[in-house]
Amino acid sequence: MIVATITLIALAAALWLYAWRRNDGSHRRGLQQGWQTLRRTMPLLLVAFAIVGYINVLSPQELVQAWLGPKSGWTGILLAEGVGLLLPGGPYVVFPLIAVLYQSGAGLGPTVTLVTSWATLALISVSFELSFMGWRFSAVRWGLGVLAPLTAGGVVHLLFGG
Amino acid sequence: MRDRTTLFLIGVALALAGLAWWQGGPALVVAGLVDGGKTLLGVVPLLVAAFAIAGLIQTLVTRDLVTRWLGAGTGWRGIALACLGGALIPGGPYVYYPITAALLQAGAGLGVLVAFVTAKNLWSLSRLPLEMAILGPRLTLIRFGATLLLPPLLGLLAELLFGRFSERIREAMPI
Repeated sequence: MIVATITLIALAAALWLYAWRRNDGSHRRGLQQGWQTLRRTMPLLLVAFAIVGYINVLSPQELVQAWLGPKSGWTGILLAEGVGLLLPGGPYVVFPLIAVLYQSGAGLGPTVTLVTSWATLALISVSFELSFMGWRFSAVRWGLGVLAPLTAGGVVHLLFGG
Repeated sequence: MRDRTTLFLIGVALALAGLAWWQGGPALVVAGLVDGGKTLLGVVPLLVAAFAIAGLIQTLVTRDLVTRWLGAGTGWRGIALACLGGALIPGGPYVYYPITAALLQAGAGLGVLVAFVTAKNLWSLSRLPLEMAILGPRLTLIRFGATLLLPPLLGLLAELLFGRFSERIREAMPI
């Protein structure tokens, strides 16, 4: 966690310096933009972390380990793909939920599949895609993408054994 | 959409609170909230940094820049540029799908657009800090590594398999 904090703060500082050197006020606008996004997503964050808290105290370790654990193999990866499709909302909601599943004992392969499936196939963003791109584009992208989470999780499963 | 998501999540939270009540009474309901609050407090510095990065990228990378980039090349070069554009463009589906739609309308290749959307979904530089903050650097790096080749690969596959149907795909667009 310390490494992550330092990396992120350094990255934010570097971007801020770069924006400041452009001399067009983008260093201020960027931070304002970030602050606004944070403020807007605050209610969602609060609800997401309440869910995380409940999952933690209900401690579904056995359930998670049985279905998504390192020993769940390809069944776990397939299941993770299905769950990923259904996850609602943006990264600030989905990442805490996936983190709590991982901490409850989900394997590395299923967890990678979960992130990838949500990122590429989530039904909630497909509903957006359909209304802008039409069904043929969605069918091509989704049809090809359906294998992506399985491939990513499968590779991780084979390399890291779970 | 955001409102529906919020309502749905509130529903999930309430259902879990009910389950906690049923298993351990009011004490467990409170314990759940306290646990969630502690977890949230633990990641606040990370969240603030992550949102600052996202905001700065959003101001530094403009829509015009990405649109120009995507129109610039075809074939391999086009797909490579599309992947970079997808990695850089910030914002949710309501930002990148209008751009993708405009480009499809303007005659951009199918492979370029599939690569762009997939890179946005898997390489997004404004989202990586958040992923690292919440899932940890190790898991994020493994996830990123495992999906590194997918955007160019899916773009190429789309172009090879369905590139010749681009006209019909355009016809199916709602706008």
